[in-house]
Amino acid sequence: MTALEKEPTTPAQGEPLVVLSDVQKWYGDLHVLKDINLTVHRGEVVVVIGPSGSGKSTLCRTINRLETIGEGSIQLDGKPLPEEGKALANLRAEVGMVFQSFNLFAHKTILENVTLGPIKVRGVKKADADAKAQELLDRVGVGHQAAKYPAQLSGGQQQRVAIARALAMEPKVMLFDEPTSALDPEMISEVLDVMVTLAKGGMTMVVVTHEMGFARTAADRVVFMADGQIVEENTPEEFFTNPQSPRAQDFLGKILKH
Amino acid sequence: MRRTAAALLGALLATLVIAGAVLGLAGPSPTQAATQAATQAATQAASGQDEDRRVVRVGTEGTYPPFTYREGSGEDDLTGYDIDVIEAVADEAGWDLEFVESQFDAIFAALDSGRIDVIANQISFNPERDARYALSEPYTYSQGVIVTRSDDDSITSLDDLEGVTTAQSSTSNWAEIAREAGADVQTVEGFAPAAELLAQGRVDAIVNDNIAVLDYLNTSGSDEIKIAGEAGDEGSEQVLAFRKEDQALAEEANAALDALREDGTLAEISESYFRADVSVPDGGDADLSGGREGRTTWEAVQDTAWPMFVAMVKITIPLTVVSFAIGLVLAVAVALARISRSRVLAGLARAFVSIIRGTPLLVQLFIVFFGLGQIGIRLDPFVAATIALSLNVAGYASEVVRSAILSVPKGQFEAATTIGLDYRQTLRRIVFPQAARTAVPPLSNTLLSLTKDTSLASTVLLTELFRVAQVSAGANGQYLALYSVAAVYYWVLCTILSVAQTRLEKRLDRYVA
Ligand SMILES: Nc1ncnc2c1ncn2[C@@H]1O[C@H](COP(=O)(O)OP(=O)(O)OP(=O)(O)O)[C@@H](O)[C@H]1O
Ligand SMILES: [Mg+2]
Repeated sequence: MTALEKEPTTPAQGEPLVVLSDVQKWYGDLHVLKDINLTVHRGEVVVVIGPSGSGKSTLCRTINRLETIGEGSIQLDGKPLPEEGKALANLRAEVGMVFQSFNLFAHKTILENVTLGPIKVRGVKKADADAKAQELLDRVGVGHQAAKYPAQLSGGQQQRVAIARALAMEPKVMLFDEPTSALDPEMISEVLDVMVTLAKGGMTMVVVTHEMGFARTAADRVVFMADGQIVEENTPEEFFTNPQSPRAQDFLGKILKH
Repeated sequence: MRRTAAALLGALLATLVIAGAVLGLAGPSPTQAATQAATQAATQAASGQDEDRRVVRVGTEGTYPPFTYREGSGEDDLTGYDIDVIEAVADEAGWDLEFVESQFDAIFAALDSGRIDVIANQISFNPERDARYALSEPYTYSQGVIVTRSDDDSITSLDDLEGVTTAQSSTSNWAEIAREAGADVQTVEGFAPAAELLAQGRVDAIVNDNIAVLDYLNTSGSDEIKIAGEAGDEGSEQVLAFRKEDQALAEEANAALDALREDGTLAEISESYFRADVSVPDGGDADLSGGREGRTTWEAVQDTAWPMFVAMVKITIPLTVVSFAIGLVLAVAVALARISRSRVLAGLARAFVSIIRGTPLLVQLFIVFFGLGQIGIRLDPFVAATIALSLNVAGYASEVVRSAILSVPKGQFEAATTIGLDYRQTLRRIVFPQAARTAVPPLSNTLLSLTKDTSLASTVLLTELFRVAQVSAGANGQYLALYSVAAVYYWVLCTILSVAQTRLEKRLDRYVA
């Protein structure tokens, strides 16, 4: 069984996997995360939505400690995030991350991008890592590009490789920070399709995106952020058809006009 | 990448071998020549394998004919009056000799720092030297003369030197006499370069030993300069110089010199070079006509091209490769220190870069070689040159490495950390390979500079490519030809490196669409 096809679990019924409690973060004087309390359960798909600058990326990046937090605590699978060193590196290997700008390793082939982590961090044998990487690449639809370099692929293809690279580490949770915003419209759906399959397969996911289609099909919960705060949380259906807060209503009004 | 590097190195060597073979066509046989140029301290030990024979290291210029020079014929052994005398003394005293060739201006520093034990190089007696060193009794009595251009009649005595410019070895006794006479002394390395400057009109006079001047006039056939008068009434006396604490050695030398004078050996050596006995006062006027022959330009080039090639392969290229490799490793360390979060490390790295880039390489080289020698750290010339050049490379390359590291997009670090690579793995697997692409062009410049800068090692007793040209030109005066050949060697070497650079860049560019 692969990461893409896990048994579906009932939303919000798994035990808590990621728990943020009273998290505060400042950039100098700028208070970018305010009193964040958020629990993501095993197998749950949470979509984070909100205006630009509201702190969505920052929230995402605190979960694998790419950003440190000022106050509060973050727990992964019952354990607080390690501060540094090998323990932190191990934690990061448990949390997959997909960036807006793909960030594939430019000097490595597609296959090497996917096998690097398993070989160097997990100590998997090269032959095994290659086989598994090839399988993952096939699943995200770029298997025949394995020997190419990232710059030779389209944006949509690169982003699917980035997903395969994260999956190769068999993470407990996957973070996506606007994975389709840098893509041309015709490539968006090929990436979203992969993500939907992943969600249906039971992967725990935190996804920052404005793609309502994805939220409606795949998300268990939508979290709306504004000014560093979580303003509203609801099921996708409820949130999009009946937003409670004025901020959310205002925001949805704007994006629905497009 | 490793395979390309090896292939390029092979191509480099092959090209150089061909170039060397062409230039050295009529030269001596390769094996013979290989032993010649490689050894900078030719052991010319007298016969006998006695265990307790003392090894005495002799410092000499090798560029001051007819006293100490290399035979123009390509026989690389040192020869000359001083060499014959010290060998006779060694025979008599039971020493084994090891010759170390040094520029005159470095020769007393070499004695002070314990790299040599005695100077056999027409050292003139004077009270200051007598106070500082253990001097032997004289083995040459000579007369100082003033040399001018042939068409210049304005200078005939020491009094006329007031305010004119002379060319001298800066630490020689003759320089002292010229200075006392009020001359403005230009420093040169030996008599032949001085004569060249005089002929070219760049200086007005030279004060030197009459024998050296006669030898030069005879071998060069020059009619551009002449002996214009005597430098003072008193003759000068030349002695062997030892360190003060080696008084015992000086005494052994004196006993040997007495014996050699007694049995006529000294007179015989002198007659063979000068047709007069200069080992006693008033032994007659030296006559060097018909002595050793001058060399034509073509002969000089033929004789020297192969030894230069060998010196390049055995010294210049290894010195470049080793210094660059060590320098690069240091550069990476310094660059990482500079971008590290530790203020102390960053500060130290910044200071290091500032000092290396703010001081001349030649000064760094002298500090490492002569300076450290004085506090008991006596490094082999190759080691000293390697240290100085590596540090220099590190100073310059660290800035290149630093900006190359910073040019790798932040997203690459982040992606690497998110799949669980630690700091070292991230640097090694992700950052360095990508930084290399940015760094190769500027690092190649550093390598080209380094290749050429190795010629500075000629000043610290290292017989590399340029030093071989210098020694040979010093003996035969073929500056233009021999320095041009040296230039061609450096140019070929640098051209090959540039080709290698282009290929490496292409290879590193392969992942850029
Ligand atoms: N490294 C930083 N230093 C200072 N301020 C920062 C930094 N990164 C983000 N910020 C600020 O923090 C706030 C939140 O940024 P964040 O990137 O999390 O917003 P976002 O919700 O992801 O916005 P967007 O939709 O534009 O990506 C913004 O005001 C931003 O300007
Ligand atoms: Mg963002």
